[in-house]
Amino acid sequence: MNKNNYIILLLLLLGGNIFPQSNINPDISLIGTFDSFTNFIKGTPEYGKLNFDDPEMELFVDGYLNPFAKAAANISYENNQFGVEELYGNIVNGLPLDMQIKAGKFLVGFGKLNTVHPHAWPFLERPLFHQVFFGENGFNEVGVNFSFALPTGDLFTGLDLGVFKGKSITPLTDSNYVDRGVNPLFVGRLNTFIPIDDYTNLEVGLSGSYGAYAKGNLVFTNPNINNGSVNTFYYCYYGLDFKFKYSPNAYSVLTIQGEGLIDNRSVPRFEQFVNGFTTETPQNISNGGAFIYADYKFDKQYSFGVKYDYTAGIIDDTPTFSTLANDDKNSTRGIEAWLGYYPAEETTVLRLGIQHLSFNYANGTNRDGETTLKLQFIFSLGPHKAHPF
Amino acid sequence: MKKILLTLLISISGINYANIKVVTTTTVIYDLVKEIGKDKVTVDYIARGDQDPHFVEVLPSYMVKLRNAQILFRIGMGLEMWSNQLIDGSRNSKLKIVDLATDIDKKEVPNFKADASYGDVHPFGNPHYWLDPENAKIMAKEIFESLSAESNNDESYFKKNLDDFNSRLDKKISEWSKEMSSVKGKSFLFFHASWIYFADRYGLKQAGFVEPKPGIAPSPSHNAELVQLIKSKGIKIIVMDNFYSDSAPNQLAQLTGAKVIKVPTAVYGLKGVNSYIDMIDYIINQIIQNS
Repeated sequence: MNKNNYIILLLLLLGGNIFPQSNINPDISLIGTFDSFTNFIKGTPEYGKLNFDDPEMELFVDGYLNPFAKAAANISYENNQFGVEELYGNIVNGLPLDMQIKAGKFLVGFGKLNTVHPHAWPFLERPLFHQVFFGENGFNEVGVNFSFALPTGDLFTGLDLGVFKGKSITPLTDSNYVDRGVNPLFVGRLNTFIPIDDYTNLEVGLSGSYGAYAKGNLVFTNPNINNGSVNTFYYCYYGLDFKFKYSPNAYSVLTIQGEGLIDNRSVPRFEQFVNGFTTETPQNISNGGAFIYADYKFDKQYSFGVKYDYTAGIIDDTPTFSTLANDDKNSTRGIEAWLGYYPAEETTVLRLGIQHLSFNYANGTNRDGETTLKLQFIFSLGPHKAHPF
Repeated sequence: MKKILLTLLISISGINYANIKVVTTTTVIYDLVKEIGKDKVTVDYIARGDQDPHFVEVLPSYMVKLRNAQILFRIGMGLEMWSNQLIDGSRNSKLKIVDLATDIDKKEVPNFKADASYGDVHPFGNPHYWLDPENAKIMAKEIFESLSAESNNDESYFKKNLDDFNSRLDKKISEWSKEMSSVKGKSFLFFHASWIYFADRYGLKQAGFVEPKPGIAPSPSHNAELVQLIKSKGIKIIVMDNFYSDSAPNQLAQLTGAKVIKVPTAVYGLKGVNSYIDMIDYIINQIIQNS
């Protein structure tokens, strides 16, 4: 081997050490969730039996694109299907006014909990009003968000303003539903973080969202009036959220968090009677929902907690122009309790939870409450980022 | 009148005599920055002295601290995994980030694929290097260089402070070496794998750890093994960082007669421990008194 070959070999060996692949690859982590459950709902096939849900997976890939921007993807596997839960780029610094821009598909910052992935929640069941007003997978949209840190001295105050495609807000399966077309919706949130002392922190936030949630045909039974008059239906959400945390030492954390939402929207309703015929007209309704929970981590490895939920609508209804978020007559209440076990930090989590739902029908329909007992196993493979407050 | 004119002149000329704004991830670095920068720096820290520096929650209030800072000093070597989220959240593109581990002779750098089956093994080596007082001098030198680069006019001021600190530290290092010579070669049980730099400096043997693997909670079966180990090696002391739970060490102490000493591994980690020198003093005094 001549001198040049030795030099080339040396450079190759050194090159391998100077630029190891792991330094330029993005972070990759994989979260697996596996639920088994039984319920005490008479007449259902799961009643009193040990049932297994299909495992769910989230594959996170994220990293820096350059000194100013990051990108992330979250590939999910749920109900035996792969999907893109999140895919976005995020300019984190270098923009005027210290603005940050996030563009792509991601969990929308309406309230605080919606942006947190379910595996990081201390409880098992998605809050009822999130299911009704945001959808089964939360408020997850394609769009762009502009984030500002307001000049409020030592107090952190954030302002987020976003515009979104509005696809997830319209999961209606109604025969009168018409494609909503190009109709962006708007979301904003103002939040303030208040450090009370070294061990106690509080964050409060106000959120709002406005847009068209659907288009639909208005129905008339009068043959002299043409059916098919298309109307656009709008919603306006107002949200209030807070999170309180008291952590007197490395092993004890008390978290109390709550959110509420008031919804004003137009809905089609049969109201007017002209010569015996019914006529459907747009009407404004108000409804809403809220949850509050307390979770107490009393040891490095154990926690327990309880959550109370309320939402307009009956939680397992099929989404139509008169159910779920469009329902201002009926409501669902839930109470959930859980015990969490974290054997090795958050790489593995076991949770045992029980939820009881009760239903309130305006027409007096009597329906038994439903109780579900669930055992959840979560594992996390790969780098673990610190949890934001 | 002259003073007013001078003030006006300074204001108009835009000359900035403000202090260098520094944030540190730990209170140990905070103390060293205060020693070198004194009244030419405004310094704040993130992790409290009684807090495990591995696990710090990403609070927006920390982002506010970084937003206004010029330099962030951190231990590095993967100890403060949470710091990158704070840096992003600060939106401060001018922030200089200085890892103080650059010139440290790193120990326990894995020469194998350090996956999670080994516990929380740091892939860049054990980051608890500040527990060796000789390394504090290396950290202080790095801080001096960074502060001097930020404010060239104050280099001689920072140098004087560095020399003064090193002189005081050298004197203490000499005292500590004499004191610790009485326990050189003895076996100790430690709670977490954070003591290699301290142990090597003073010739202590790390016979074992209360944690079965770094970051993994103590278990009854491991405790049973440790009881045998303590008895067979004649271990007198179990040393632990005071933010960990002492439940498992106390059980071991009850079964074997060994003493548990809980010591701060950060400044302000205990009442009265107000400086780096106070901290090492306290640790060494506890070890000597209980040996």
